[in-house]
Amino acid sequence: MTTLRTPAPPRPVQPRAPGRGYRRKSQPEAFAFLTPWLLGAVALTVGPMVVSLYLSFTDYDLFTTPHWVGFGNFTHMFTDDDRYLRSVEVTLIYVLVSVPVKLAVSLGVALLLNTRRGGGGFYRAAFYAPSLLGASVAAALVWRALFTGGGPVNEVLAGFGWRTPSWVDDPNFSLATIVLLGVWQFGAPMVIFLAGLKQVPAELHEAAAIDGAGALRRFRHITLPMLSPVIFFNLVMEAIHAFQAFTPAFVIGGGRGGPADADLFYTLYLFEVGFQDFRMGYASAMAWVLLVVIAIVTAIVFRTAKLWVFYEDRP
Amino acid sequence: MRRTRVRGFGAVAAIALLLSGTAACGSDSGGGGDVTITFAWWGSDGRANLTKQAVELFQKKNPAIKVQTSFAAYAAYWEKLATQTAGGKPPDVLNVDTRYLAEYGGRNVLADLNQGAGKAISLADVNPELAATGVYQGKRYAVPWAQNTPAMLYDPAAFTAAGADPAKGLTWDQYADATARVSAAGGFAARGATDFGILDTPLEIWLRQQGKQFYTPDGKLGFTADDLRRYWQLASRFRDTKGASPADVTASYNTSPEQSPLGKKLTSSEFAYDNLLPAYRKANGKNLTVAPYPTGANGDLGQYRRPSMFLSVSARSQQQEAAAKLVDFFVNDADAGKILGTDRGLAPNLKIRGQLSAGATGDDKTLYAYEAALEPKLGAAPPVPPKGAGAIQKLLQRTYEEIAFGRLGIDDAVTRFMSEADKSLG
Repeated sequence: MTTLRTPAPPRPVQPRAPGRGYRRKSQPEAFAFLTPWLLGAVALTVGPMVVSLYLSFTDYDLFTTPHWVGFGNFTHMFTDDDRYLRSVEVTLIYVLVSVPVKLAVSLGVALLLNTRRGGGGFYRAAFYAPSLLGASVAAALVWRALFTGGGPVNEVLAGFGWRTPSWVDDPNFSLATIVLLGVWQFGAPMVIFLAGLKQVPAELHEAAAIDGAGALRRFRHITLPMLSPVIFFNLVMEAIHAFQAFTPAFVIGGGRGGPADADLFYTLYLFEVGFQDFRMGYASAMAWVLLVVIAIVTAIVFRTAKLWVFYEDRP
Repeated sequence: MRRTRVRGFGAVAAIALLLSGTAACGSDSGGGGDVTITFAWWGSDGRANLTKQAVELFQKKNPAIKVQTSFAAYAAYWEKLATQTAGGKPPDVLNVDTRYLAEYGGRNVLADLNQGAGKAISLADVNPELAATGVYQGKRYAVPWAQNTPAMLYDPAAFTAAGADPAKGLTWDQYADATARVSAAGGFAARGATDFGILDTPLEIWLRQQGKQFYTPDGKLGFTADDLRRYWQLASRFRDTKGASPADVTASYNTSPEQSPLGKKLTSSEFAYDNLLPAYRKANGKNLTVAPYPTGANGDLGQYRRPSMFLSVSARSQQQEAAAKLVDFFVNDADAGKILGTDRGLAPNLKIRGQLSAGATGDDKTLYAYEAALEPKLGAAPPVPPKGAGAIQKLLQRTYEEIAFGRLGIDDAVTRFMSEADKSLG
């Protein structure tokens, strides 16, 4: 690193290619057209975020003037709030169980659909439909109706002679039904996996098959490495989604975190603290902790990506 | 050159902001000198029909005032109200529950009706004890819209078959035995009672029967760990004999009659409020009726005139006179009283109540008879519950669920409840 610092050579002036002026010169018209979006971003995203950061250091109760409490909210969270720790536990269980299972199921179904038999379009649509209902209240309501006491799931199991509790109202099973709902909505990652599978060159498989590699071997040594960028993408997206899960827990848990706090998701507790207990300052602090945690988890996934994600153009 | 562009951009943004700002202001102002007020309440569709009829009558009698109404289910109502209030735009006239009166009144969201326009609201014909329930720290933040009283709703056929008559009054011991027999008679498919360990109202009544109270006037818990332990031991006795609902049925409880264990025909009795009788009957399908609470050995009922809900005026309302007029109309107009009936409970205005009870039929007649029989035994209403009271019911529910599902012993649950309750009452 002992090179002489020389001033950077002036950039060569290139003749402007017709139709590419936007690259070099900002146009007021462009800003004019962007204004509505920028206003929206500032007024509806950046503004509230700044306000919420400020409120996270106060005791704001929604109605009266907030008072500065420094890091009080943050220390209370980790030292004096059992329900907060419970919500962290519930959310971590949900993320750690539902995300890998969902990815495995969506990859499995994508592999099946990729065999290109007849009716592939129908199955693709059918499997994707639950994801379209994604955050919808309707899907969660149906789930609650299915798994409630005397509901269809109970009835069917009773037909086999199994007496089961009301799944959604029993703290031992309630979270599992929400995990199941999350896994059932595997359509979005599946479609992305399917697109990824189409990109795996057939000649690699053929060559390996000629060399005597069986289906499992080819999956492990060809499909998985070629698919790793897609797996990486799905992993990041699904993990972020799972951390923010709210609607299913809200609906299935009866809007209160379920029986004996079994479904007390992080976002649910945040909502309850903010809008039912009038502790918006504390809720803001919780929101910022969640943001930071998601950022850290995402960063860790990105770091480890070097070890297992394989890009064809970057050997 | 570059700077001017940025400035130009800033100007565009500023203009757009101004435009959107003025647009937002424009939508509020009522036109033509007429006044528009907003009014929000909680309840179901059936209540919505009655309330809208009453509002239409008000507009007919007061053509200069237009009322925009909105309603939601209980829990959703409070979430929406919190958001609207934080945004600086609570409804001009709103429903408040005694559990939240201190929360909103104590934070100056509600207007003091002893002052200004509120003085136009007449409470001359309202029972003074009932009227007093809307006063918190010397200020009248609310007037009662209706009176109800806690009651046991039950299926008389099932209890008669088990050899008990709750209408004549039971002791807690007799009630425990009766529910066990009701459960056994039905092969334990439907239980005798909905487990009441999760509910704050039976706890309050049970405490009052022993001369204690749920909250002290200075906003602390009025009972000790030992009281709560005995209450949960009582509830557990019902669970042990299978007289009360199993844990997963109990955990499915929510405040709507349709979704409650009694409404879903999973139990034969449940503690609720007398004015909910028609809704429960509709949900359950059987010929349910009301009875007073079971009592201790001394026969003290512990019940009181309860404001089933309050009417309040927003302190930030620009139309306080019109808002007060609407409140006065709901409380004192005879035609309004006739439309509203007993849906929220008995009319607060005693003259109107007298007229209505004379001509009552069906469930209404049952309610008037029930409250008339109780009237001489009713005690003074407790002080307004403190800030944080809304959270206490939820705390009671989830802590008792830990007991019902066998995840926590009664002693540990009591310890947890007392320490968390202290925190949320601050």
